[in-house]
Amino acid sequence: MKTHKVEQLIIATIGFFWCFLMWFSTAAFSPSIAAHYRLSIAALGLLASSAIWMAPIGRIVAGWASDRFGAPRTFAIILAGCGLVSILSAFTTNYNLLFFERVIVAIAGVSFVVGIQHVAQWFDAQEIGTAEGLYAGTGNVGAGMGALLLPRIFGTNYHAAFVWLGAIAIGIAAWYLLRGQAAKSIERRAAVQRRSNMRGTLFVWSRYIAIALMLAYAMSFGLEIAMNAWLPGYFTRGFHDAILALGFSGVAGVQIAAGTFAAVESFCASLFRPFAGFMSDLFQQKGWTPLPFIARTLPYAPRLHWLGIALILIALCMIGLTMAGLSGSLHASVLLLVLLGICLSFGTGATFALVPLLFPDRPGAAAGFIGGVSTAAGIVYPLIFASGSNIHLGYLRAAIYMFVPIILFYFWAARYERHPEEHGLISPAVLVAEQA
Amino acid sequence: MAATPFNAPAGHEPWFKYGVATLCLEMAIAIAVSAYSLYMTFNGLGGFPGKH
Repeated sequence: MKTHKVEQLIIATIGFFWCFLMWFSTAAFSPSIAAHYRLSIAALGLLASSAIWMAPIGRIVAGWASDRFGAPRTFAIILAGCGLVSILSAFTTNYNLLFFERVIVAIAGVSFVVGIQHVAQWFDAQEIGTAEGLYAGTGNVGAGMGALLLPRIFGTNYHAAFVWLGAIAIGIAAWYLLRGQAAKSIERRAAVQRRSNMRGTLFVWSRYIAIALMLAYAMSFGLEIAMNAWLPGYFTRGFHDAILALGFSGVAGVQIAAGTFAAVESFCASLFRPFAGFMSDLFQQKGWTPLPFIARTLPYAPRLHWLGIALILIALCMIGLTMAGLSGSLHASVLLLVLLGICLSFGTGATFALVPLLFPDRPGAAAGFIGGVSTAAGIVYPLIFASGSNIHLGYLRAAIYMFVPIILFYFWAARYERHPEEHGLISPAVLVAEQA
Repeated sequence: MAATPFNAPAGHEPWFKYGVATLCLEMAIAIAVSAYSLYMTFNGLGGFPGKH
């Protein structure tokens, strides 16, 4: 079959976009579902949180499966399986069964790592940042588009939405199977398939640099999804008087204002991500290595520096958010959120511009570990933000107690001038001896 | 040819310039959403596209 890498990028991006649309479609209709089944606030919160339950483990399995069976087959199974259950959920009349089915549909969120692996198998080192950025950034928009468009198109008729989402997902799955190709060459595919075993997975999991990238992704993408859930409530409580002073009144008015202010972080974090990948390519091309301690002679050293800069900027933005909150300035807070969103995209884009280069023979296992385990951070941050008496100080606490140690660990793990992937908790000789 | 942030540098394949155009478009959308939110912090109910 004749194909081109851009076609593969488009297939992966559309598949990922649709998966994210399905992933967050339950949240988009949660008011309608709550009204239909007369759910309590606690039950509604449980329904909202269930979307993320399958992500950490599911992404790890999906990463391994894409190495083992190839991205097209893995992606098609995810799309078709989630699509089928989405259609079934439209005809369910029992809430418990509906809840269970929507948890299954939320597995669509694991597709991220499959597409990362797919794109990595097609694009070369000098353009991998832009390609992965375009894939992940454009696909991520599916989450925002779902919240924005689905209720406007379908109103309260979530049954019809779930049928359409599922049917189109099955169509995309068929397209993926027909036109998707696992890798640019048979040799590339065979090399990845050969290393997709438990030893290979343990090898990735135990590398210091993989752990550092996982923490970097927890600091960027983990924070991004945590902020999506946290910010509307933060603005409602932290800037209640300022929002009322703007003329918004009642619960609905304050919610609209808080949601609009919160949206800047999500939009910037998603839509600047391709630019972040492009910047990683630019750093690489120019050979920029401005930071101390981090390796300067590795073939991808500039990309390591770009990620280091992104992590420092994220920590600074979090400190700035606390200062803006304490000053009571709504304008400064929203402006800082724009900057934070952009810096988060730098972090996510820079991380996945590095993953395929550090682990070229295990891109799925690496993407599964780094993109999967890190999502658990999305559960931790809101707890830190809400732990003090002053709601504005949570960002500073997260920066000092979590981000500074993560940045220090990253600098330490990225200091090796030769083969950083050889350094880890377990000797690579033990893990890869039989694969050599 | 020296590379600039928004031009495909020499050595890149033809698809690259379309990729860069796409990422510019996506950034423009993000900037528009941010500008609207910032406008709203100053003008509140007077913000577009409608009054709440």
